[in-house]
Amino acid sequence: MGRKLTFEIFRYNPADPKSKPHMQSYELEETPSMTLFIALNKIREEQDPTLQFDFCCRAGICGSCGMVINGKPGLACHTQTADLPDKITLHPLPVFKLIGDLSVDTGTWFRNTGKKIESWIHTNKKFDENAQEERMDNALANQIFELDRCVECGCCVAACGTARMREDFMGATAINRLARFYIDPRDNRTPADFYEVIGDDQGVFGCMGLLACDNVCPKQIPLQDQLGIMRRMATLESVKAIIPEFLRKKLMGCKSVKP
Amino acid sequence: MSQITPLTEVQAARSPRDLRSRLDFWQALSGACLAIFVCFHLIFEGSVVISPAITDWIGWAMEVTYVAQIAAPVVLLLIIFHFWIAARKMPFLAGEMQIFINHSKALNDVDTWLWIVQVLTAVVILAGAFFHVYTVMTDLPIEVIKSAQRLHMGWWLFYVFFLPCTILHTGIGIYRIAVKYGFLSKEKRYFWRGVIWSGMGCYLVLGTCALIRVWFIGN
Repeated sequence: MGRKLTFEIFRYNPADPKSKPHMQSYELEETPSMTLFIALNKIREEQDPTLQFDFCCRAGICGSCGMVINGKPGLACHTQTADLPDKITLHPLPVFKLIGDLSVDTGTWFRNTGKKIESWIHTNKKFDENAQEERMDNALANQIFELDRCVECGCCVAACGTARMREDFMGATAINRLARFYIDPRDNRTPADFYEVIGDDQGVFGCMGLLACDNVCPKQIPLQDQLGIMRRMATLESVKAIIPEFLRKKLMGCKSVKP
Repeated sequence: MSQITPLTEVQAARSPRDLRSRLDFWQALSGACLAIFVCFHLIFEGSVVISPAITDWIGWAMEVTYVAQIAAPVVLLLIIFHFWIAARKMPFLAGEMQIFINHSKALNDVDTWLWIVQVLTAVVILAGAFFHVYTVMTDLPIEVIKSAQRLHMGWWLFYVFFLPCTILHTGIGIYRIAVKYGFLSKEKRYFWRGVIWSGMGCYLVLGTCALIRVWFIGN
């Protein structure tokens, strides 16, 4: 017989005028290899069909089931109940618009941020659909892929103290996204162009180095390393008029293909 | 296929020469300079543990070369400058502070808590540095016996707070600059955090020993 788990779950439906934010308790017997995703589905099936939460892939790929688990943002499908105490408190991810209970709208936030940072390849080359795709160095392709692994779950944003205090801060995921284009040789943007997008307190300079984004990322993407690379690039760009060119290149630190 | 998009009006209004965009650079540079100063200052002060004569000689050398007279106001101005720039990120509004504290409690992440420590110690240092510099520089020459007299006049309580605050702020600041600017990658971070913690511990021991030594000179 497994442990008896007590779930304290945040309940609120903004679409219902009668609904008031409150915590609701559920009890459940733990089963082997139980994840939070399984537990929540069991609660919904057996105890409360009105409980709202998002899920899709069950394998940490879609990023839908991000929530705050005992204070730390994480993916429900990635979290084993065996790693948690008997009492489990669940809240929806902050920063994002609440849909209901544990369900939030990360899509609108990511779309707006994507537009803001111009999250696409900028090139003047005319696309030839019949031509073979341009070859890329394997190591570089892997490096780009590493940064492309972000599933946009929003955990890094929810864990960021700066994002909690300041709504206009774009967060680690956006900087990481831009870092991916920074190293992509197909993107024609120069450091000056990237600087224009992130070189202020809403962008990379707003990061206070709290490191929580890096600590909670369910995909273990080295977010703080990317923030460091982009911050150094943007800082050196901001003072390029007063720093000798050789020193700027030496300090740049990132083996970028960009000029 | 996407084309190079013209910059938006907001982005185009800013340029690398915009003063606001350089604030982060000046914050890091002034912080690094102050950290270097604190490291040397504490070692010079700590020399009293070996012999008060060494400390008196360092003080004398600093004065006759006018290093002390010039450095003291410069460092004070640098502290104000550093605080003024860094303060733009501080949660001065009650609502912001409450959000951050609640967030830190819930997340219980060491690095997030350290930022609160940095904010609180910054305020102590800003006020404390003024009194420290004022009392020392208006009572030249710098001598250990004078420091001892000050401690016995009640200043020991001030230094019991001021010393750990300065060491904590400096250590955390060095760690944060290294992380924020990508000098400490993820795999090296925990090792270097340990090194910096050990360094802070050594400075705290040195500073405490120096205070105790000076106290007994006063007796």
